[in-house]
Amino acid sequence: MRKKIASLALAATLLLVTLISSVSVIPVQAASDDVITIRVCNWEEYIDEGGWGDDEVIDLESGDIFGENALYEDFEEWYYENYGQRVHVEYSCFGTNEELYNMLTLGNEFDLVCPSEYMIMKLMTEDKLVPYSDDFFDEENELNYYIRNVSPFIRETFETNEIDGQYWNEYAACYMWGVLGFLYNPDVLSEEEVSTWNLLINEDYCRQITTKDNVRDSYFATLGAIKGDLFLSEEFLSDPDYHDRLAEEMNDTSEETVAEALEFLQQVKDNVYSFETDSGKSDMVTGKIFSNLQWSGDAVYAMDQAEEEDVYLAYSVPEECTNLWFDGWVMLKGDIEGNAEKQRACEAFVNFLSRPDNAVRNMYYIGYTSSIAGGTDGDQIFEYADWCYSAEEDEEEVVDYDLGYFFGDEESGDYILAVPEEQTYRQLFAQYPPKEVTDRSAVMRYFDGDANARINRMWINVRCYNIGKIKAAGWAAIVLAAVLMTAALIYFKSGKKKTKAIRRPPQPQ
Amino acid sequence: MKGTFQRKYLGIPYALYLLVFVILPLIVIVYYAFTDASGRPGIGNFINFFTDPNTMGTLVYSLVLAFVTTCVCLLIAYPAAYFLAASRIRSKSAILMLMVMPMWINFTLRITALKEILTVVEGNLAFHPFVNSVIGMTYDFLPFMILPIYNQISRIDKSLIEAAADLGADPRQAFLRVLLPLSMPGVISGVSMVFLPAMTNYVVLDMLYNSTYIMGSLIGSYFSAYDWHGGSMISLILLVIICLFTLLAGNDENEGTARGGSVL
Repeated sequence: MRKKIASLALAATLLLVTLISSVSVIPVQAASDDVITIRVCNWEEYIDEGGWGDDEVIDLESGDIFGENALYEDFEEWYYENYGQRVHVEYSCFGTNEELYNMLTLGNEFDLVCPSEYMIMKLMTEDKLVPYSDDFFDEENELNYYIRNVSPFIRETFETNEIDGQYWNEYAACYMWGVLGFLYNPDVLSEEEVSTWNLLINEDYCRQITTKDNVRDSYFATLGAIKGDLFLSEEFLSDPDYHDRLAEEMNDTSEETVAEALEFLQQVKDNVYSFETDSGKSDMVTGKIFSNLQWSGDAVYAMDQAEEEDVYLAYSVPEECTNLWFDGWVMLKGDIEGNAEKQRACEAFVNFLSRPDNAVRNMYYIGYTSSIAGGTDGDQIFEYADWCYSAEEDEEEVVDYDLGYFFGDEESGDYILAVPEEQTYRQLFAQYPPKEVTDRSAVMRYFDGDANARINRMWINVRCYNIGKIKAAGWAAIVLAAVLMTAALIYFKSGKKKTKAIRRPPQPQ
Repeated sequence: MKGTFQRKYLGIPYALYLLVFVILPLIVIVYYAFTDASGRPGIGNFINFFTDPNTMGTLVYSLVLAFVTTCVCLLIAYPAAYFLAASRIRSKSAILMLMVMPMWINFTLRITALKEILTVVEGNLAFHPFVNSVIGMTYDFLPFMILPIYNQISRIDKSLIEAAADLGADPRQAFLRVLLPLSMPGVISGVSMVFLPAMTNYVVLDMLYNSTYIMGSLIGSYFSAYDWHGGSMISLILLVIICLFTLLAGNDENEGTARGGSVL
């Protein structure tokens, strides 16, 4: 019986959620039978939504790039022209990976979503995803922009990383990527000070640095700090299995390590300005803080914003190691399984976003780094990097910046930018970190079951008020306040009976 | 006449609202609170609540924060409401409107503005997280304290005070023995409208850089770690605490709480 009630209640809630969500999506046009609808859910502000001003044209040598409409609207036209079928994109957004996951557990809501690498791994292990079709990997097909243009660096990462014996590239197409580091004010902090994760507990900058309000990022930075000596040791660096060992160490969730991390993070809590999710960028610009744990894409955005206020910020990736992160498109079971037409439309959507000019539009609009390098379908992406960062003719300090590892052949020397020296620690550095940075990067995997519970518990421990800190006087004050409140209440209750006798009769107001 | 329209049918929309948005979610919360991750019923979450030093620490911190906020609100609101109600100025409603007006501006905007002001005053906000939280919450909740108290005081017949004076009470006595007890329903109504949200409104803390969890953020952290069961138990216990508080404070239904709120 109890079960019945519970399932009834759950069913009712689900129904409610479905009702609300179907109301909240405004039907753009009545969908007829020959229109395919794909439901796409992406991070907020993570796609070019068009509406650029006339002065925002990106005038590359290979042609102008301009965002008039949102990319998902352009896609509908493009799909009809190339596949002869009408498609309608129902576009919506999520705020965090956990929020997305919770939406997914409520039922069949989306076809194509764009979570981060660890959430992709979680969804893969839970068998919630549909693999990309063989057609998607056919490089002969001119419409397969993704596989034709994805950066070799990204491609290799996706082909070599697996979970439960399944490689990422079977289920996920990389959209944006980046690293983790510190955005900082170079007038205040030296390069040396920001070159270590220990900056978070540097008492010289007490309450002047922020970290992320997010257990995974903070835990990563913590591991980087507490294992820093190991990572920088000669023995570790020269190990032929350096990368595997680094990845293993940075995914260490053993009890001892988590206990050490707890201790470190408690120091961090006492030293940082705040645990922030979004306010760090503007607080850097207004000068409230001098450094800010930041993803590379947001750092580019923040540096651009700061420049408009005449504040010049820089970006640094600690020497110990860094977190390589990705957001990728995955297709969910539900409607897609067994519906080839719908799957084709979803895959086409990914391909459309991977067309080099569209990737440029996205990068310009959101500041993050696309996984697309171009090459097969033109060099617009590299041209765009050149357009953004290359030195003016009258520039004095010009240095070479090699991006061969990302754009193609490392040896060819075709992908070297001549940039002003400052770009080696500013936007270009954040948008396209050099090879030595990606060489010391590790992917943080999805932690399951016990490990996840342990880390979440540790995080709550860090954030909650430590009851042991209350001294005897504190307890006395609390008890006194409680007693006083009760006494006042009792006094009032007893006093009221007396006053009732003299209360006036009700009067019209 | 057939099919007469009965007035009670007008209550149906609200009854539906109550069912869908209050009763059903409550059932779901109770279900989650008393089951574990594998769906087995049990009171493990309940025991966890009282044995986990983190939860207890958060509970104490939230209670203290809410208590201090409520006291500050009361200290500001009572005199304001009293003098407004007692004054002879004709533009009372205009002044009252001024007091309530901050509520018309989106509260994140207000707190953002407050953040900048406090930064100018204090320099670095992060050194005084508790004080800032109290200031932020007071700023946010003050109208909820002023309104019911003002409403209650303005209903008190002035002849009662005069009668007290005639019977020999000095102004202090008249206030303590007559006015204060009669205005208590408004105070209690105001206190419950400030105290309870102050225990859970963690957005203010987030925006003012207080990185210590209060009950609201603790529940949120359980949910984002997919622990619906532990989170639901915390919500449920909080609900019980609030119920007890309300029962203790305002069980006299004829008196103020029911009629405390409606001034605008």
